[in-house]
Parts: sequence; C-alpha cells; structure tokens
Amino acid sequence: MAEPEPEKEDDALLVVRCQLGERQAFTGLVRAWHGPLWRYLRATTGGDGVADDLAQETWIGVLRGLPKLREPERFAPWLFTIARRALADHLRRGRAAPFGSVDLADAPGAPVDPGDFPGDVLDRLEVHAGLADLPPAEREVLVLFHLADLPTAGCADVLGVPAGTVKSRLFRARRMLRDILTERGHDR
Amino acid sequence: MNEHDRRNPGDRRPAPREVPEELVRTLARETSLGRRVRHLATGLAGGCGAALLTLLWATEPAPLPLRTRVAFAGLIAVGLAWAALACWTLTRRHPLYGADRVLAAGVALGAASATALGAVVLAAVRGTAALAVGTGVAGALAVTAAALLLGRARGRRRALLDRRDALRAESGVRD
Repeated sequence: MAEPEPEKEDDALLVVRCQLGERQAFTGLVRAWHGPLWRYLRATTGGDGVADDLAQETWIGVLRGLPKLREPERFAPWLFTIARRALADHLRRGRAAPFGSVDLADAPGAPVDPGDFPGDVLDRLEVHAGLADLPPAEREVLVLFHLADLPTAGCADVLGVPAGTVKSRLFRARRMLRDILTERGHDR
Repeated sequence: MNEHDRRNPGDRRPAPREVPEELVRTLARETSLGRRVRHLATGLAGGCGAALLTLLWATEPAPLPLRTRVAFAGLIAVGLAWAALACWTLTRRHPLYGADRVLAAGVALGAASATALGAVVLAAVRGTAALAVGTGVAGALAVTAAALLLGRARGRRRALLDRRDALRAESGVRD
C-alpha cells in the first residue's frame, strides 16, 4: 500500500495562515484534523467522552504552540505529539486505565479500507475490537498509521523512534491483529 | 465534500466526527483578538503607570510619610504585577500571532513614547536636570526596545506573508 500522504501544501498553508493570525484559518485547520485526532484518541483511550476532552486539550495546546512551530509542513506529527502528551498526562492522572478495553457500543460500523491489513475488507468494528487486544505500542502505531493517516516518518516523529522501528512495529502489529481477528473467525 | 474526504478520496471509512460546537466556541475564545488586546492594554497600563508613579515618588521634594511610601510601593508593585502577568499571558497562554504582534508592538511603541515624553516633562518640572536627563535616557531605551519589537514583528509577518503566498502559488489556491 502506498503510504498515505496528507496534502502537505494545504496543511502548511493553513498553518501559516494561522500563524499570521487569520482567524478563519483556525476553523479550517481544526475541521481538517479533528477527525484523525479524535479517532487516535478514541482508539487509545476507548471512550468518546475522554477522546472529546483530550481532543479539546490537544487543540488548546496546538493554538498556544502554533506561533513557535517552525516547520508548518510537519504539523501532523507535531499535532499527534501534543495529543500523545495529553494522553500521557491523562493516564498519569489516573483518570482511566491505560489502553483499556474499547467500548464498542457506539463504535462506527462502516467498513474500513483494508490497505495492508490481511484478508479482505475489514469491518471497522472488527478492527476496533482487535485493537483493544493489542499491546499499547502496537495499537498506537496501527492507529497513527491507519486511522490518523500519518506517514511512517510522521509516526516516527510522534513516537520518538526511528522509522525502521515504526515499520517493524507496524509489521508486528498487523500480524498480531490478523491473528486476533482470525481467532475470532474473521478470516475471509 | 469535507477536508477529510478531500484528503482521502478513496477512503471508505466513515466521515470523521463533526467538530463539536463546544470545542468550536472554546477555540474561538482561545484565539480571540479582543482578549489579547485586553491583556495588552492591562499590561501596558500597569507598566507605564508603575514607571510614572516611580518618577513621581522620586521627584517628591520632601521625604514622604511612611504610609504614603507604602501606598506608592504597593501601587508600583501592583502595576508591575499586571505588566508581568500580561507578558506571561501573551507569551504562554494566549500567544500573539503574526498580525497580532505587529498590532501589539505598535500600541506598545505608542504607549512607551507617550510615557517617556510625559516622564521627561514631569522630571524636568519637578526634579533636577540630571534626573530629567536620566529619565530621557531611560525613556529612549524603552522606546528603542519597543521599536525593535515592532521591527521584528513586521519582519516575521512579512516572512509569513511571503511563505503564504508561495504556498498558495504551489497549491494553486487563490485569494
């Protein structure tokens, strides 16, 4: 699968407009990235409410740090680094069990593009269910790469590990997810 | 078509959650220019007020009673505290963006100039020539610092505008 590559120019343009103080650009930036950010937080915390709170915390951190962002092209990894820090603070405060089981009651059920996932089209519900059983490191890299659409280099920036480690972690995570889903009878 | 759909035209995943209204309101408050201007005005009033009070105290012809000195010191401390709080807020909590910085630096330059002028007149009328010269030098330093800040803010804004135009040209986005 070709690596997902967000429209760098568009994001960079939005970021620069925000840095200039064009207020309407803030709305554009939030609308462009709130979905991937929320999915990342939702998948790593397991709750809609927690994801909403952490997303708000992350966005406030973004708005406060934006004037100092020197490389607008690297906005996405920077955004997820802030989200990861907010998540770590949240877990440290003990408000939730780290990477607890995912509540599937309201998880979206539309199919997800399989990409590098094994087998055929996977149901998003199934993927979420599988994610819940993955170890934190594998779950996080899978979410960042597949649900937040970050490229390998972006994942490496967010996680603070070399790109090679991201690739091996992704490989391991996919294999584990495939095993989990196969065990549950999703091997199609 | 929303931004995410545009980013991944072949993506069959569900559209991302809408941005909650509460978040939109919170972020609007966070980026509010009015809030920044209020912090700026408070900080400048505190700083300039503290400077003028210090000068008034220094040019008193006779030693002041203890209670008056305490009152002066208290007012100066409050003014400096407001200035420090405004600095912290405008750098950490509600940072100034490119255009905001130009505006803030322009206002600061005006306030510094007016305060310096008033202080020199005050020192000349109430104090010695040496004090007037000293006040003039201090005022000139404050005005120079504000002018430098304005220059930097303009330079930064210019650089951002150039960058924006270049990115617009690359992506074919029109004004």
